Amino acid sequence: MNEKHLSSQFDSDLNSVCSQLMKMGGLVETQIQRAIKSLANFSVSEINDVLDSETLVDQMEMEIDRAITAVVARRQPAARDLRLLLAISKITSNLERAGDEAYKMGKRVKSLVESGETRQMPIGDLRVASDLAANLIHRALDAFARLDVTAAISIYKEDDLIDREFKGFTRKLITYMMEDPHTISSSLDLLFIAKAIERIGDHAKNISEFIIYIVHGMDVRHSKLKGIEAIVQSE
Amino acid sequence: MPSLFSRMTSLLLLMACGAALAALIGHTGVWPGIAVGALAWLVWDNWRARAFADWLHRIKDDPDTPPPRIDSLRREFSERIQRLLRKQGRETEELENRLHNLQSVLQASPNGVIILDEQECIEWCNRMACEHFGLDSRRDISQRITHLLRDPALTKCLAARDFEEAITLESPISTASRPLRLEVWLLPYEQGRLFMLSRDITAIEQAEAMRRDFIANVSHEIRTPLTVLAGFVETLQTLPLNDAERADMLHRMAQQAERMKNLVADLLTLSRLEDRAPPGMSEWIPVRSLLERIDTDARALAAHLAGQDTPKHELIFEGMDTSDEIAGSSSELQSAFFNLVNNAIRYTPPGGIVAIRWQIQTNGGARFSVRDSGPGIAPEHIPRLTERFYRVDSNRSRASGGTGLGLSIVKHVLQRHDAKLEIESTPLRGSCFTVTFPAERIRSG
Repeated sequence: MNEKHLSSQFDSDLNSVCSQLMKMGGLVETQIQRAIKSLANFSVSEINDVLDSETLVDQMEMEIDRAITAVVARRQPAARDLRLLLAISKITSNLERAGDEAYKMGKRVKSLVESGETRQMPIGDLRVASDLAANLIHRALDAFARLDVTAAISIYKEDDLIDREFKGFTRKLITYMMEDPHTISSSLDLLFIAKAIERIGDHAKNISEFIIYIVHGMDVRHSKLKGIEAIVQSE
Repeated sequence: MPSLFSRMTSLLLLMACGAALAALIGHTGVWPGIAVGALAWLVWDNWRARAFADWLHRIKDDPDTPPPRIDSLRREFSERIQRLLRKQGRETEELENRLHNLQSVLQASPNGVIILDEQECIEWCNRMACEHFGLDSRRDISQRITHLLRDPALTKCLAARDFEEAITLESPISTASRPLRLEVWLLPYEQGRLFMLSRDITAIEQAEAMRRDFIANVSHEIRTPLTVLAGFVETLQTLPLNDAERADMLHRMAQQAERMKNLVADLLTLSRLEDRAPPGMSEWIPVRSLLERIDTDARALAAHLAGQDTPKHELIFEGMDTSDEIAGSSSELQSAFFNLVNNAIRYTPPGGIVAIRWQIQTNGGARFSVRDSGPGIAPEHIPRLTERFYRVDSNRSRASGGTGLGLSIVKHVLQRHDAKLEIESTPLRGSCFTVTFPAERIRSG
């Protein structure tokens, strides 16, 4: 995004699309943070904020896509600009889905609070995973702003941690449910929350893939981490 | 004018030489000779002009390059140019110094400072801003601020260009274990540029929350016995009671009144501890007398708590026969030590052991420790024990007559005596409260 084009209007178009994306990213980040806070404190006021900002995120996604269409139609971008626009389009849909997951977390927390069976459940494990996931989304957006491939690769690595936390947590929930069938309904809620957190981590990972795509022009989806590192280093 | 004169002379001289040469050869007349002389001068002068131009070119990089050996007119030019360049150089240096100084001032500021250009891109930021927002002062220059700080509140303010009020936001690097709340001011200056100030308000917000909690706690602690008292008064007023019932009720009312009195006394003690200057080093108290009084009081308390069929606490005193002296306030230390012993006895079930020990350390300092065989304290409570009204188990401690302020008082007293309180505990095994005094407050006899 640093090299100038002949048409400065083109530059400012691209910049404004990027800014819109970052704005949307900021919204989704706060949404996730709030969902996590509501989970930690079981407070309903924060949940309502999460649920409210959902429509705003959806609107932004559509707006950004419209802006991208306009730029492509008017400027016929090539090479890196084209990659940037394509990637932004994909990143918005990933962000939107991450926002959806935060929304789902909020709804499940609400139902947990309403059921009143919150105290005995193992929330502590979820806090670790949810903080990790929020941190990954944050770092993915930072890496996009700086087009920092090294940071993108480190996100790629850390997503595995969340997956492992998720597996461990599932096993723990099973033992809870086996010991006391009364906890089944709240355990299921927690399971859905854990799944949402795991998905948020995956979306962060997808975003980091698109950063590598923008910078190096390589599609690294569905490839192994070692392969990616080798290709990036050889560039 | 002499320089112009010398140029004219050299021209005339060459012309004259030309004329003389022509006259010597002798068949064409003097004029062609003069013309050749003039031409030769022109070539020579042109060559000198070339050298001068070269020098002008070089002097841009190094103002001290000596001028070429040239005529006096151009020497005058060169000197003036050199003087001008030197002056300019000095001025630039001064400006640079001033800019550097200004930047150092901003660097030293305890607030985060970010300078944004018209596009809201980061033009410069100081170290504190990097710490506050997790920026990299080299890599993130000319990056748009909204790309790195994506807080919706900030984005909204920038979009609306509404800079009237400060924004409070969570730092991007804030974590659950190390929260970082920031207050951000955006100050516009000349043509849409922005000056961004950030201040760490985590501690202020925490203090504010503590103050709110404290007031809520005090009100709650006072309201509870008051409600009970009011209830008893109402019963006494409305119901006909026999003497035994009345006596029982009055006894319980007295208990509640006592509780309130204790609470108010503790609150007053705390506020006195906060207001007064810390005790100096002039008053030396014999430790032995302190410990002896604690011994008497502790035994009285243990006897009071022991019923007919419950065993008494076993109290062990070590290091009682000391002749050490301690600098500080006798009444404060007495109350702090007794608070610790009191806690140990009250929280340890009857028949348990409470060991009180005074010991001089190798570095000249001293230790007062109270070890009990009670139920112990879970690790998550330990850091918060000295907070006002913090209770591990609210029912139990109120039943045992605590106000929730004892350990706060202990902490305050010890701080005033430069001493430290350490708490070690294993659940189900017991706890150990250790007070460590520095060497300068201890005088061994």
